Parts: sequence; structure tokens; C-alpha cells
Amino acid sequence: MGAIRFIVKRLILMLPILLGITILTFFISNTIPGDPARLILGPKATPEGIERLREEMGLNDPIYVQYGKYMYGLVQGDFGKSTYSQQAVSEDLKRYFPATFELTLFSMFLTVLIGIPFGIISANKKDKIPDQITRFMALTGVAMPAFWLGIILLLFFYLKIGILPGGGRIDSWVSPPEAITGMYTIDSLLTGNWEALKSSLIHLILPGFTQAAVTIGMITRMTRSSMLEVLRSDYIRTAYAKGGSENRVLYGHALQNGMMPILTLMGMTFGHALGGSVLVESVFSWPGLGRYAVNAINYLDFPAVMGVTILIAVLFITVNLIIDILYHVIDPRLKYE
Amino acid sequence: MLLQVQNLQLSLKRAGKFISILDDVSFQVQKGETLGIVGESGCGKSMTALSIMRLLPDKAKLAGEVKVGSEVISKLSKKKLEKIRGNQISMIFQDPLTSLNPLHTVGKQIEEALILHTNLTKKERKDRVVELLKEVGLPRAEEMVKEYPHQLSGGMRQRIMIAIAMACRPQLLICDEPTTALDVTVQAQILELMNKLKQENDMGIIMITHDLGVVAEVCNRVMVMYAGKVVEEAEVNELFQRPRHPYTIGLLEAIPRVGERKRTLGSIPGTVPSPQNLPIGCRFADRCKDAMEICRQAQPKTLQLTDDHRVACWLYDERREDLKDDITRNQESKTTLSH
Repeated sequence: MGAIRFIVKRLILMLPILLGITILTFFISNTIPGDPARLILGPKATPEGIERLREEMGLNDPIYVQYGKYMYGLVQGDFGKSTYSQQAVSEDLKRYFPATFELTLFSMFLTVLIGIPFGIISANKKDKIPDQITRFMALTGVAMPAFWLGIILLLFFYLKIGILPGGGRIDSWVSPPEAITGMYTIDSLLTGNWEALKSSLIHLILPGFTQAAVTIGMITRMTRSSMLEVLRSDYIRTAYAKGGSENRVLYGHALQNGMMPILTLMGMTFGHALGGSVLVESVFSWPGLGRYAVNAINYLDFPAVMGVTILIAVLFITVNLIIDILYHVIDPRLKYE
Repeated sequence: MLLQVQNLQLSLKRAGKFISILDDVSFQVQKGETLGIVGESGCGKSMTALSIMRLLPDKAKLAGEVKVGSEVISKLSKKKLEKIRGNQISMIFQDPLTSLNPLHTVGKQIEEALILHTNLTKKERKDRVVELLKEVGLPRAEEMVKEYPHQLSGGMRQRIMIAIAMACRPQLLICDEPTTALDVTVQAQILELMNKLKQENDMGIIMITHDLGVVAEVCNRVMVMYAGKVVEEAEVNELFQRPRHPYTIGLLEAIPRVGERKRTLGSIPGTVPSPQNLPIGCRFADRCKDAMEICRQAQPKTLQLTDDHRVACWLYDERREDLKDDITRNQESKTTLSH
């Protein structure tokens, strides 16, 4: 009962946050110097032509009127039309977002799969060789710029030994699976298209790992410090005294107790990965939202910028809501408020 | 013989150096017997318990032999040790709140011991958990299974700890200050429960405490420790009536007695020597009002005074006069060597 009320309350609280985000993004992007109409018409445009287009796009209206019009469309589910692609922004988002989301999910998957066990090993073998190795790897991961790591990985795995593809989401000779979610791996799983699954998974490895390098490093370090704290607890000693094996104690007792800060960090890195995938997407020619967003900004494509921002904001808030719920699932001492 | 501990030596690494925590600790526990281990904090009594369970920190050096039944604990592999912990030997800790996993239900925590050491089915385990909760005197056992430690009182939590420890009917139960964190009325209930469980199950108990009242209540035999060494061991009445070691005598004088209003309580002057800086002679010598010269020069041997009374003190060593010359000579040769 408490849980449902908690979720509903949080969902309602989402509205003012989103409203704030639209206001902020709208006014900031509209005060950037530059004229979208001039950009669209190109260098040879006549002043009359530009003026006509500005009128058409509503750019001559006072800014609050423009905002009002935009919001009027938005509440009806209309994100407007992209001035650059000349398509409905919602269509563009539908096309580019699944690619980014798939990449982000995959890199989070790698982060959890590698980062948490590394952190646990590191804490359990504090100051011994395994700890030194994971520490080195974590710090390297955090310190390496993603675009640089991406290029190095490409040079080695694609150009030098040629076992992994050089970019894109799927091999050109494999037809993408029927679109259900738009994420190739999941769609091919759902439709039982194994060839597409294999190809799309192979294409995920390098960009996924490049994007995950930083987050693996961060999660490793966070897991380590959180686990060090937990491993000193009396109940860990009790678990060993009961006859629990090391793995049972670490993964059955300690991890759950050390999970809070790890979850918090995961929520933050998830949002970060969603919004910050531009570099990785560029290096691996990944047709995702990051590249779309950069183009939108370059061409002062306001509806597109707004669309991307709102989508990422909604996701970020949702992820953090899910994490808040997970806190309560993990720790019975917390009360829904 | 249930438990046999022989010449236990323990060193822990602190700030890069190994320092001696336990020195030549030997004792035994019989079936159906409660051995009390007393001493002030830092004397090594908890470390003795953890050494038996081998629950020591990573950087510990342990020597000597611990035998439970025919099994030599000190030589077992990790795997075999896990089979014994919580099964043949169980342990109860001081603070029941921090000793229980806050995120698992009471039922799950008791059940874990059964999962680890028995082949019971899920249904049988559930029944057994409820049975155990009733056995340790908890009301409404069926509901409590689903509750979390933070929802229970201190006394209830300690009963849960006991239920976990008793889950596999251990032969030996080690209790490290089990009542220290509880208030007095609850203390008495817990001690009573432990006595009951001991009689029903014919197990041996090691009761670690600094409270001589607890000793009087539940122990058959008492071992007094000081700065990592056993200084005296005796049957409980014998120890209370005829304490031999000056340290034990001091401890007993420090207990307030009802009806003796005007008497000032005894206290032992000075402090325990730090393990980094132990004297070469008797470790109690600096605080001992009966200290002789020899006490500062050589460690006393453990003397068996009667069948159930042993003490490590020069006062009772007949050889002290004869040995004196030997020892001074030894000391001199040592100092000349070091020059």
C-alpha cells in the first residue's frame, strides 16, 4: 500500500521537474546567438526570404508566446517538427533513441557484471595483489578518455586483428530484425532471429566496452569502499561463524548491505551514459541520439534539442525513481515516505 | 574430552609488526560443562574464542593445537572448517543487534544454518525454525519468522542469536559476553535459557565474560586470563573461596557485596601492559602487591595446586628460592650478550 502511494507521489512530483526543464532548455536555446532561419536557408538567402521563414516558424513572436505554443503542442504529445531533418521530432527520437538506449543498457550490464565483482574482490583482498590489479584497472578505466580508448580498440580489434566490426549496429548483409522495441538485440531475441542477434551483439562489444570503461572503474571503487565498511560488521562474522563459505558471505550477506551507495552511483552513471554517449557514438558511427543531439545544436534545431532533453530528463527521473524503489526493496528498515 | 586447546599462541599484525596477543593458552572443556573465561578487556579472552573458531583477521599468526572431539581444528582446510562452524561449534556474540544481518528476516537467518549443515527439505526447515524459536522462549514464533532484527528488542535478538547457534545442535557453544549488552532482568533470563539448553543437549559451553556474577551463575569451572596468559584456573566454588593468584584476589575484592556497606571496594592499581611492550617476567608483576624480585625476572610456570586448581604465580612455586640464582645468572648472560 505504502509503495503504491510512494510511486504515485513521486510520479506527480515529476511534473514540476519536467516543467522546469522545458522552461530552462527553451529559454537557454532561444537566447543562443544565431538565427535558425538563416542557417536553414544557407549563405545565399535573401533578407526577405529569411524574414518570411522566421515569420513562418513563429520566431518573431515574443519568447513566452513561442514557449506557450510549444507547450500547447507538447501536452498533446506533439514535439514539433525538426527544422534540420524536416521530420516530426517524435519520429526522429523513435529512430535514434533505441540505438542509444541499447548501447547504454549494454554498457550498464557490463558495468554491473564486471565492476561489482571487481570491487568485491578488491575489498575482500584489501592491499593484496588482486586489490592492486583491480585498483590499477579501475583507475585506468576512469582516466582514459572514451574517444581515445574507442579509437585504440578500433585500431586493434578491427584494423589489426580484424575480429570485431568497425562500427554500425549490424552487418550490412544482415537485415535488421523486425522493429518492436527498436533495439536490435532484443528484437532479434523476440523474433528468434539468431543471425541478427549474433551480428548486433558483436557490434555492441567495442562501443559498449568503451562506454563502460569509466563506469566500471567508478563502480569498482565505490563497491570496494562500501564493501570494506560492510566486511567489518559483526553480522559478517556471524555469517562466517554459521559456516558460510566466503562466496556465500560476500554475495549473500555483504553485497546486499553494501548496495546502497552502489545503486546511487549506478543511477547517476546511467543518466550520464544516456546523455553523454556522443563521443562513443561518433567513434563507432553508432546512429544514436547523441549524434542527433549534436547536429540539432549545430543547426539551432530547437524542437529537436527540446525533444532530446525532455526524453533524457524523463528517463533520468524514471531511473532514479526505480532506484529509490530498489532501496526500499533491499532495506526493510526504510519506510516509504 | 570435548575441547582441548594446547599451547595456543596468537600474534596479530599491527602497524607492520607482529605483536603477541595470546601466549601459551591451554585448557579443556568437557561435555555438559561450562567453562568461564574472565579477565578485563584486552586480556585476550575474545581472541581465544575466535581462535577456536578460526575467525581471526587475515594477518593473524596462530600456533598450537585446537581439538574438538577427534578433529584437529587448527589443521583443517577452509572447506572442512566451514562444515564444523555453526554445526559442531557455534558462537554467540556480544551485541545481538549488530551481529544479525539487518536486511534478512529472522527466519532466513536461522534457516541459513540449516541449509548449510542439514539435508532437510524446505518445509522441514520452516518447521524446524519455528520449533527453534519456541525452544529459545520466543512467543508468537510463527509471525516472528517474517520479522526483521530491528523490529525486535535486545533480549529477543539475543534469543534469535541463540536459536541460530543451536540450530544444528552443536557440541560446543562459545558465548562471547552474551549478556553484556542486555539489561539486568533480561540477562538473567538469557543465562537461565543457556543453562536449560546445556542440560537438554549435553553440550559444552565456553562463557566469556568480565562479569563474575555471570560466572557464579552458570559456570562449572573458571579460567582467569591476564594480558594474553592464563593466570589461574579452578572449579568455580574453589576459585571464589580460595583464589590464589593476586590478580584473581584483586578481581574478587572489586565485587560489591550486599550488606557490607562501609567496606571500600578493592581496586587493582596500575594498568594492563600493552601487548607491544610486555615485561619479561610475570605480566602482572607491576601491579602486584606481593611481587618479588623473581617475578620481574622470569615468567612463572603453571602449577597444579590440586586436581582442579592451577595457577601461574611465583608465590606458590617452591623452587623460587633455588631458581633465583639460575635466573639472575641467565639474565646477566643475556645482558652481556646484548652488549
